[in-house]
Amino acid sequence: MARTKELTGSARRSWKAEFRRDWVVYMLFLPIIIYEVVLHYLPMFGVIMAFEDYNVVDGYFHSPWVGFKHFIDLFTGEDFLQAIRNTVAIGLLRATIGFIAPIIFALMLSLINSKKFKRTAQTMSYMPNFVAAVIVCSLFTQFLAKDGPLTLLLTNIFGAENQNWFANDQVPVFWIIYTLMGIWQGVGWGSIMYVAAISQVSGDLHEAAAIDGATRLQRLFKITLPNIFPMIMMMFVINIGTALAAGYDNILLLYMPSTYNVADTVFTYTYRQAFGGGATNYSLSAASGLFQSVVCTILLVGSNAISRKTAGSSLF
Amino acid sequence: MARKQRKKQEWENNMVETKSVADIVVDVILYICVGLVALCSVVPMWHVLMSSFSDGKSLLSHVGLVLWPVGGFTLEGYGMIFQNSSIVGGYINTIIYTIAFTVIGFLLSSVTGYALSRDTKLKKPVTMALMITMLFGGGMVPTYMVIRALGWVGTPWALVIPGCTNSMYCIMMMNAFNSIPKEMYEASHIDGAGHLSTLFEITLPQAMNMGSVIILNLAIGQWNSWMQAAIYVPNRKALWPLQLVIRQITSENADFLNSSNPNYSRYLIQFAVIIAAIAPIIIAFPFFQDKMEKGVIQGGVKG
Repeated sequence: MARTKELTGSARRSWKAEFRRDWVVYMLFLPIIIYEVVLHYLPMFGVIMAFEDYNVVDGYFHSPWVGFKHFIDLFTGEDFLQAIRNTVAIGLLRATIGFIAPIIFALMLSLINSKKFKRTAQTMSYMPNFVAAVIVCSLFTQFLAKDGPLTLLLTNIFGAENQNWFANDQVPVFWIIYTLMGIWQGVGWGSIMYVAAISQVSGDLHEAAAIDGATRLQRLFKITLPNIFPMIMMMFVINIGTALAAGYDNILLLYMPSTYNVADTVFTYTYRQAFGGGATNYSLSAASGLFQSVVCTILLVGSNAISRKTAGSSLF
Repeated sequence: MARKQRKKQEWENNMVETKSVADIVVDVILYICVGLVALCSVVPMWHVLMSSFSDGKSLLSHVGLVLWPVGGFTLEGYGMIFQNSSIVGGYINTIIYTIAFTVIGFLLSSVTGYALSRDTKLKKPVTMALMITMLFGGGMVPTYMVIRALGWVGTPWALVIPGCTNSMYCIMMMNAFNSIPKEMYEASHIDGAGHLSTLFEITLPQAMNMGSVIILNLAIGQWNSWMQAAIYVPNRKALWPLQLVIRQITSENADFLNSSNPNYSRYLIQFAVIIAAIAPIIIAFPFFQDKMEKGVIQGGVKG
């Protein structure tokens, strides 16, 4: 009696037998199923409101159907296109400068001989990661205000014009400040992965190179970097995939109507249409949110596929 | 890995490489750069700490970094915190939300992780369903509408249930339960323990390495969060968490400092309240630093 396919465990039994046997485990699935259905899957179907003139009284089923009207509104208006431009600009800056910063920091740490100094520096650099966004943003607002310490530093040492930097609506200013703020918050915490990867590089390689007369810097570029390169590549690809999805919420705490032209992003636009005070336009907000979700999903799936092909490892 | 590291350390210590001038220059530059990064990370906090000990009036006229209390050391700012009912209320709310959010989120993640680690017919479809939510979400407004339909808008439920777990935490817990030896489950089964006692009494304590990372992430995330509250309880100040109170104080200050007769105490109080808000995390930080670091490394490796 040779069977072509051997079924094992749960797959062999019928649903009824399974349930009788392990009903407790099946009950343990209940909370997460309810949680996921209500808080994740219902909203997924709720995106149909992006195609309606949604009003709270009529609900999903009776609000007038308008098709792609809101998307046409979004892409023919100026505000949303501006938001897309800003999102892409900030995303690119963070995926490049913001991505390289923790790697450089980790490499510098790896070259430091004093264990105590290294550990202390690491601990100190982690701290900004644990400070609440509200506090970080209010600190930066104060430091970059007209007579803030950082503004004074920029004015007195670099000769920049004395100004409230967050009120500046010139093109790259806000983008750069926001990127640098992200680096300040994340450089220490982001370096952990790289520090761990560097510490796993075989000591034998370093030893052999040192005996052959390679200096520390030579070993850094010829041994350490090539060894962690696959991991850097993987992180980079994943980073691109998630760049547009998260990390724009702090802008809500920093921008003001006079700087919308440089600071407004798709995320903040979505938020403002629904919860920003003033007139709410739920459907327009849902349309903009849906656009963001779809683009992010495409980027994530695409970058994951690239990562799997090139680096041999992937997020999922 | 530990052996390799030991070996690397050994030869580094025994190394008879003589340092050239170039090496020393590189060293000096390195120490300065790394030192600067470390310093920049804590100076803003130091500025706030010292400002909170300062005299409000002199602080307002002070320009530049505050590296030492201005106008004499006082605890005036902290005294004012206790007289401000919205700050005290916000602090209590934040503590309640953090505890509730963490307990609910951790229970949900571990129960799900356990269920996923057992051999059942639901294992594959539920894992699949969890993966999909990592890829695509309905977005801000559709989620708001669901929570509104549940009647949670304007109540604390909207702050402690949504987001208390996610696919990553569930799958991390599943991995933790999977890595416990099969014999452990068999033994507890033979001893007559049901799934519930196997989960809570026998395997969960062994999965706490991963569990504590999740607990820390949940607690810190909720302690620092402000946007959920800004979306779901914007008009009910009695329910505001501390972060929202801070946001209001600092943004109001920005306007009213420009007025002709600014109130010094309100300027001072913002520094004291910021310190009060980050103190619990900074004080606890040395104790959980190693755990969180390991969590980042494991999370990245397993993905």
